[in-house]
Amino acid sequence: MKINALNSITHIGLLGMALQFNLRPSLKKYMKSPDGWTNFTIGLRTASGRVNQSIVFFNGRVTVLSRIPDNADAIMHFVDDRVLMQIIRIPPSEMLNLVLKNKIILYGNMSYLQAFTYYISLIMGGVHERMLIRAQKKEEQSRKILSQNDDPGVPKSLVERKNYRMKGDKIDPGVRWLDDPYLPQYSLEDFPRIKQQYERHVKATPEISSERPVLLTQWYRKNGFDKDNARNDWVPELRQAHAFKFLMENKKTIIRQGSLIAGTCTPEEEGVIVYPDTTGTMIWGELSSIKKRVLNPCHISEKTAKKLHDIFPFWTKRTTREWIRNAYDYPLCQKIDERAVASFNFKIVSMSHTVPDLPRFVQEGTHKIIEDIQTQIELLHKADPEKAESDKTKTDKIKTDKINSLNAMILCLEGLNTYALNLADQAKILAEKEKDPLRRAELEKLIIICCHVPAKPARTLDEAINSAWISWVGLLMENNNVSLSPGRLDQLFQPYFENDLAKITTEKERKAYIEHVLELISWFFLINGEHYNLVPDVANYLFGGSQSQTAITIGGITPEGKDGVNDMTYIFLKVTEMLGLNDPNMNARFKLDVNSDTYLKRLCEVNIITVATPSMHCDDAVIKSFEQNCDKIKDLRDWAATGCVEITLSGKHMSHTGATSINMVAGLEMAMNNGYHPLMDWHLGPETGCLEKDDFKSFDQFFQAFALQQQFIIENTTLLNNMAGEAYAYLRPTPLLSTAIRGAITNGMDVTKGGAQYNTSGSFNIGLADVVDSLMAIKTLVFDKKKIGFRKLKQAIDTNFENDPSLHAMVMNKVPRFGSGSDEAVDMANRVIALIHSCYKSIKNFRGGDYTVGFWSVAQHVAYGSLSGALPSGKLAHKPFTPGATPHPSASKNFLDNIRDVARLNPRYMDNNIAFNVKLVPAAKDTREKTVDTMVAYVKSYFEQGGMQIQFNMVNSLVLRDAMANPENYQNLLVRISGYNAYFVNLNREMQLELIERTEYTL
Amino acid sequence: MNPSPLILDPLILELKGNSLDDGPGIRTVVFFKGCPLDCVWCHNPESKKAAAEISFESKVCVGCNTCMDTCTNNALSRENPLFIDRNLCTLCFDCVDNCPAGALEQIGQKMSISEIVDQVMKDKPFFDTSKGGVTFSGGEPTLNMAFLGKAAKALKEKGVHVLVETCGQFNYDSFIELVYPHVDLIYFDIKIMDKDHHKKYCGLPNKGILKNFKNLHKKYLNGGVTVLPRTPLIPDITDTRENLLAIVSLYKEEGVKKTQLMPYHPLWQEKNLKIGISPVLTKEWSPEKWMAEERVKICEKIFIDVGILLES
Repeated sequence: MKINALNSITHIGLLGMALQFNLRPSLKKYMKSPDGWTNFTIGLRTASGRVNQSIVFFNGRVTVLSRIPDNADAIMHFVDDRVLMQIIRIPPSEMLNLVLKNKIILYGNMSYLQAFTYYISLIMGGVHERMLIRAQKKEEQSRKILSQNDDPGVPKSLVERKNYRMKGDKIDPGVRWLDDPYLPQYSLEDFPRIKQQYERHVKATPEISSERPVLLTQWYRKNGFDKDNARNDWVPELRQAHAFKFLMENKKTIIRQGSLIAGTCTPEEEGVIVYPDTTGTMIWGELSSIKKRVLNPCHISEKTAKKLHDIFPFWTKRTTREWIRNAYDYPLCQKIDERAVASFNFKIVSMSHTVPDLPRFVQEGTHKIIEDIQTQIELLHKADPEKAESDKTKTDKIKTDKINSLNAMILCLEGLNTYALNLADQAKILAEKEKDPLRRAELEKLIIICCHVPAKPARTLDEAINSAWISWVGLLMENNNVSLSPGRLDQLFQPYFENDLAKITTEKERKAYIEHVLELISWFFLINGEHYNLVPDVANYLFGGSQSQTAITIGGITPEGKDGVNDMTYIFLKVTEMLGLNDPNMNARFKLDVNSDTYLKRLCEVNIITVATPSMHCDDAVIKSFEQNCDKIKDLRDWAATGCVEITLSGKHMSHTGATSINMVAGLEMAMNNGYHPLMDWHLGPETGCLEKDDFKSFDQFFQAFALQQQFIIENTTLLNNMAGEAYAYLRPTPLLSTAIRGAITNGMDVTKGGAQYNTSGSFNIGLADVVDSLMAIKTLVFDKKKIGFRKLKQAIDTNFENDPSLHAMVMNKVPRFGSGSDEAVDMANRVIALIHSCYKSIKNFRGGDYTVGFWSVAQHVAYGSLSGALPSGKLAHKPFTPGATPHPSASKNFLDNIRDVARLNPRYMDNNIAFNVKLVPAAKDTREKTVDTMVAYVKSYFEQGGMQIQFNMVNSLVLRDAMANPENYQNLLVRISGYNAYFVNLNREMQLELIERTEYTL
Repeated sequence: MNPSPLILDPLILELKGNSLDDGPGIRTVVFFKGCPLDCVWCHNPESKKAAAEISFESKVCVGCNTCMDTCTNNALSRENPLFIDRNLCTLCFDCVDNCPAGALEQIGQKMSISEIVDQVMKDKPFFDTSKGGVTFSGGEPTLNMAFLGKAAKALKEKGVHVLVETCGQFNYDSFIELVYPHVDLIYFDIKIMDKDHHKKYCGLPNKGILKNFKNLHKKYLNGGVTVLPRTPLIPDITDTRENLLAIVSLYKEEGVKKTQLMPYHPLWQEKNLKIGISPVLTKEWSPEKWMAEERVKICEKIFIDVGILLES
């Protein structure tokens, strides 16, 4: 009886939906797009087999079947019957949670599932909206309770941090013009236009922009995607280039009110860029609910929603994800990936974690680059005319490919130039209308600038910055705004700054110029900060609060090895201090024995004032780590941070540093379960020994099992990544980016195919402390001291230690942890990272390059943690992991132990960098100078002992608790997660709690 | 209460790294166990006795009762509000070894000089970048002058800045002979000027202490090791106007230019419970909070008014 009941209810529900769509013309029209009817089939089933049905959308008719046909596009699999009952009563956001928790497993085409969700929301719209409003209230309530906040109010000391600013000395050899490089005389109050823009920015809700997807889809619909209108196969590079050119020619030209920089990514102020060619369709299901969703809602106009709904059908099978599903027949590696438990591939989302050669655009100009490309084409035409006939076809093919690739690059640069000229026209229109003579002069200057750059070499700092920005807009129109990073801008801009100043004769003009530069860079930050990446609700839980992660790198050394700190370094720091934005993500390099203490002090002070930026890297360790990928010292010295923290050799390295993440704990859990993963309820890994049968006689035997499981996961995630690489080369080559990465022009090959001088893919590997501490617990308690049997430990883990609090206490207290100062634990950590490193290094990526290995976690230590059970380390089920390469809070009360142990991680195994998080709270009684001195001592000692990267959160848990309960008072409270910055109030509550519970050291 | 001065090897309470409040820079503090004084407000009550002790922290206890199964003397009982019957306990510490939670702990460990040096030297990179060093504190580090002197010498030879925090109750000659040459800085407590009050609240009269202070300070003024006198501000005991004025007049006589005031902090009560001592103070005097800022300000003013600098 029960069986029928559930099946019947489902059937009635689906029939109801079918009826509505068949009978109501207002709904029926949603099944059609300019491509015709949107046809797909979605299956629903429960693990028990009680429910097994499908709904078919075909040529404008909807039918319900009592079975799931083989050709169903997607299947929703419910792990138990109750979950199916539940989904009727919950808002879309909670449904996602069920997906994340692996209670609902989705198989097949994700775009169609999104379309199906959207159709449901069309019927349920009002109901969902009310549910979401209720969910929002519930969420606020639960945060108030979870925060355990005593309502202390915003502490005065936090508010006043900005008001005291230290003085600095002019010591750094590269500082030529700033008498006090700290610029303490300035605050945001001195720049009213910037202040106004800043205040608007931090309060704004982003709005989804349809400009990019609409223009591109328009072009593809007209000119074809796979085949051109003559039914010939498109050369992917040329197709992309033509479409890009069309986009740039037709893109709205915007100069924001008062801005000194021309051009924007979206017409909307605070716009979300949509990339339907990667994950854009993931927002389909939310087109009507995104406005009201609980976390990070976005505005979306009805017009935009309609436009996106019209273009998404074009992309359902043209995303990286679906290309792989079709080309490789839904491979195992993709099935593993889509559960998001053991690994997660980012190439599905984006491939743009790299540092393009902006200096080339700014210094040489696009005309010169086009000339170079043309020379290259001429060379190819002339080359080897007398080859043997047998080789000829092959040679011709290579030659044609190269020429096509190079021509595509030229088209893109032309598109970029047209955009700049259109901006000049826009500046002219605005100037003519402008009544304020000062502003008119600025606009007139912009006309000249946009007529000149990026086509020709910049002559002034204003031109250099506009050239860089216009190029940047182009790059973001081509590549996802995920972690594309402009690199060492202080190095790029300094010569222009010096050159401008050399022309100035009076002190007064000099002062005015420096103020102008501060305003210019502030605009650069703000105009860059106003584009957002598209965040499907699921990503709020996986990567909460993450923005575009535009990493700017300052300081360090020049390619020649000289001190790279200059006037512009300090200008960037001043703007960072005044604005405290979450994006750009500021990264500072420090070279021991070269960079000054004055500089390091300033880095620390800016961290105190902004609470969480910039993060700091030691050049010595970074260079040592990356030598395995590059033997040219000048290139190594020119590294820049990418996305979060990762290493890219500026402008010559297709580094896709954020290609793939793995959950190292999943491998541990599988090793303890003979290849089975409990939460996934899936025996996916190899059989490596049964703990219950006492297969492990020694710790090394167990470690071997652990190693095999890691290898299995890494093989799969890299396999998927290589497939995604192939998908990119077909779906989305990037000819514009190829002009901005050395090697691609000379090789005549797109960077997605391996044209760059250096080719790597980056991995980030999550749960280091949890894995090391767990292995230490097994080694110490089970094998060395024989305090407990392995089976007993396993039982306790399987029951979340609920029946054995004393065993839990023992693993928490009697095991030397990573970060406690234990040599053994540090050795274990090095053993683990060496293992992970060796697994990756045995595999090549699609472009023929190596994988790099990092230990930072974005925000996935929280998501992966929630998808794991209890661990031998004492971590309880579903609790977050420790972020990045940070030790667990229980490791030691002594911060120096933490520092020392992290510094002892061998950089050779960490060529994709690490994130070491430290929560450090300034004592109220101390002066700023004393606090800064202590911080400098920590950072310097850490670097001297071999440390690679360190990042701070300079705020205590009381404040964070208050912010959790009263977000309205902390709108711009900046925090650092694992590598990136976010506003605390935008984070999901698990991430907020993780930050609150991090170890806290008082200065 | 007073420990035997004959103890040869002092016990070490703790080596605490990353201290920012025990002298300049980042410091590692070596806490010695045992003190000749018995100050009622002592915030390290576990450091008073020179002998090893056992402590129990109920908050950490998970209630597994492993300790009770281990104890052969029936010294542990949940009926007992202090948990440990210290008359029955033989300090075998078997229960400590077996406590999974670390709720039971041994207070005071033997450490050789080389062990101390090795552990302190781990923090040397931090001393170098912060101008920090080692601080010998307690208890009272001078209880075993030879041991302290050797430890100080070994570290100073390795380039570590050495600071000794003392209550001032020691044998002057042996201090000068064994310790003084190896010390860079001395923090000297001046608590109560009235000798009766001193005896009442600190267990001993202050004659020797004041004499030691005057001698050391004279040496300092003649180019010797810097001496910084410090006064803990204990409500109604040391922070009275009368006492502070008396301290000021001592400083004037001795030419003291700089001092440090340390506002009372209330953590000690809980620590007492851990080692089996019920709260000892009367109702009239049981402050539980940090001293109010205004009250500290009033005390500071007494010194500032006569031109004595205050170290923060």
